[in-house]
Order: sequence, then C-alpha cells, then structure tokens
Amino acid sequence: MNRQTRTTALAAMLLITGCATTPPDVVGAGTQLETRQAQTREFDTLDKAMTMRSVVATLQDLGFTIDQADADLGTITATRLDTYTMRMTVTVVSKTGDRIAVRAFARAGENAITDPATYQDFFIALDKAMFLTQNQVD
Amino acid sequence: MIRALTTLALLALLVGCATTTPTYALRLEESTLEVREAQTRTLVAPSEIAILTATIAVLQDMEFNVERIEKPLGVITASKITDADSASEKTGLFFLDLVCALGGSDCGAMNSAQDDQQITMTIVVLPSLARSGEFRTRITMQRVVYDKMDRIKVLERIGDPAIYQAIFDNLQKSLFLEASEQ
Repeated sequence: MNRQTRTTALAAMLLITGCATTPPDVVGAGTQLETRQAQTREFDTLDKAMTMRSVVATLQDLGFTIDQADADLGTITATRLDTYTMRMTVTVVSKTGDRIAVRAFARAGENAITDPATYQDFFIALDKAMFLTQNQVD
Repeated sequence: MIRALTTLALLALLVGCATTTPTYALRLEESTLEVREAQTRTLVAPSEIAILTATIAVLQDMEFNVERIEKPLGVITASKITDADSASEKTGLFFLDLVCALGGSDCGAMNSAQDDQQITMTIVVLPSLARSGEFRTRITMQRVVYDKMDRIKVLERIGDPAIYQAIFDNLQKSLFLEASEQ
C-alpha cells in the first residue's frame, strides 16, 4: 500500500466514523453560570401568575403550542413545528425582594440553543407581553 | 485526483458534524399582530367554568382528544390524528410510478403520498382584565403530516385565518348551547 492510498483510506475511514460513536450527552455543553446568565431575566413584579400568563402569550406569539404548564411549579413546555422542531421550557420563579426570575431554555431539533442573542429576542418578546399584561391592555 | 478526494473527505468530515442554530428563531415576526388578531377573540360567558366547558365540548365536537388542562393558566392542549390522503396528489404519484414502470424501474413514488396528519392545538382562555364577564380566547395550531412509510412529510404551523374563524364560530355556538341547556 503506497502512501497516497493509505492517506485516502484513512480519510475515507474518518468520513465514515466521524459522527458514528458518541457517548450519551447528559450534562450538556457550556458552563452552568454562563448558560444561566444567558437564559435568565429578572422582572420587577409581584405577580407570578401574571408573569406565567405573559410567558404563555409570548410563546403563542412565537407560534408555539403548549405541551405542558404547571402554575404551581411555574413551568411551561412548548413546541413549535417548522422546517425544524423547536422545544422550549420556561420556568418562572419568585425571588426575594419582590422579583420574579424567568428562565428560558430552547432546543432546535437535536441542538440546544446556546446563542445568547436568541434568548435576548425571547426576552424582548416577553417584555412586550409583560407590558401589555401589566397595563391591562387586551 | 487522490489529493482532491482526500481534501473532499476531510472537508466532509469537518462539516458533517457541524451544528446550526437557526437565526432569529425567537424573534417576533412583523406579522405577529395580524396573526394574534386572527387567533384571538373576546367572548362573553357567564363564568370561567362555563367557557372552559364550552371550549372542551367544541374540541370534542371537532374530534380532538384533550391532552392537558392547566386551569390557573387557562391552558387547554388537545390533539387528533386524522387522514391526510389527497386524491389529486395520489393521481400525480400514480402516473409518476407508471412512467417509472414503463422505463423498467420502480420509483415507489406512491410511498411518499400523504397518509396521516397529527394536529395539535392549544387554546388559552383567560378572563379579560378590563371587563368582567369577558374572556380572551387565543388558539394556536400546528400539524405533522406523515407519508405512507410513516416518514415526516410536512411540519408546519396552521395559519389560515378561515380555520380559526370556523373554530370560533363553533365556540360561539357551543356557548349558546351550554347556556340554553342550563
């Protein structure tokens, strides 16, 4: 086997096996702190229920249907079907000092969304919905 | 030639596992307001229970199964699997298969014909903050269409305002029926 043939064979093998074996991706990528910062916003509001309603309204604005919602635990999971399937889980948690923290996590197909700009867009949409809810605009 | 092949293989290796994040995936579209209007109605009902009952009855009228209800948030999620057969599509695919058969090959085009569709619907019913006795009702829907081989053929949000209008018409009727039964 000459050198060129060997190189080609190696490249072909890499091509075949490149994506084949992967360990179970359980803990995900990225650091906990960075991920949390990108995915979380705090709001000055007392009302957890109103915040959750705003989250549902935002998800509907973005074309999602709600898979599951739990007002007590403040968790909403939603799905959007498009050229890719997007799933989101949003949690609403009461914080000390009359604040509410909203954390969003999105996944497009098999990829977790890590781009902070995408979460930024979600929170801009949520800001608008919160404004409409708080100002009692129907 | 071999060098070109090697480069190609290495390139394929590099891009093969690349991940793509859709840009602007969670940005509000310009048409948001218009879409929201088509999906929302303000309905008058004697109580929250009355409108929720009427909504669930409409879902049953339309042959949906209710999957989940979270009453404090007014969220109802329902779904149904129905036939998605299209006679015109099947005719086209039949002729495609026929052309293939005449050419001596089997295209199996008919296998890609639409078969089933799963429709998922979320209805959110909330008391109006501005006026008592009024309820804001918003519907979002999407569907998956499978072909004869159970492969996903279409993934889409259902946007046609006429469909939403038809559901709201049914809901109005349901509210009327529920009220007259009491």
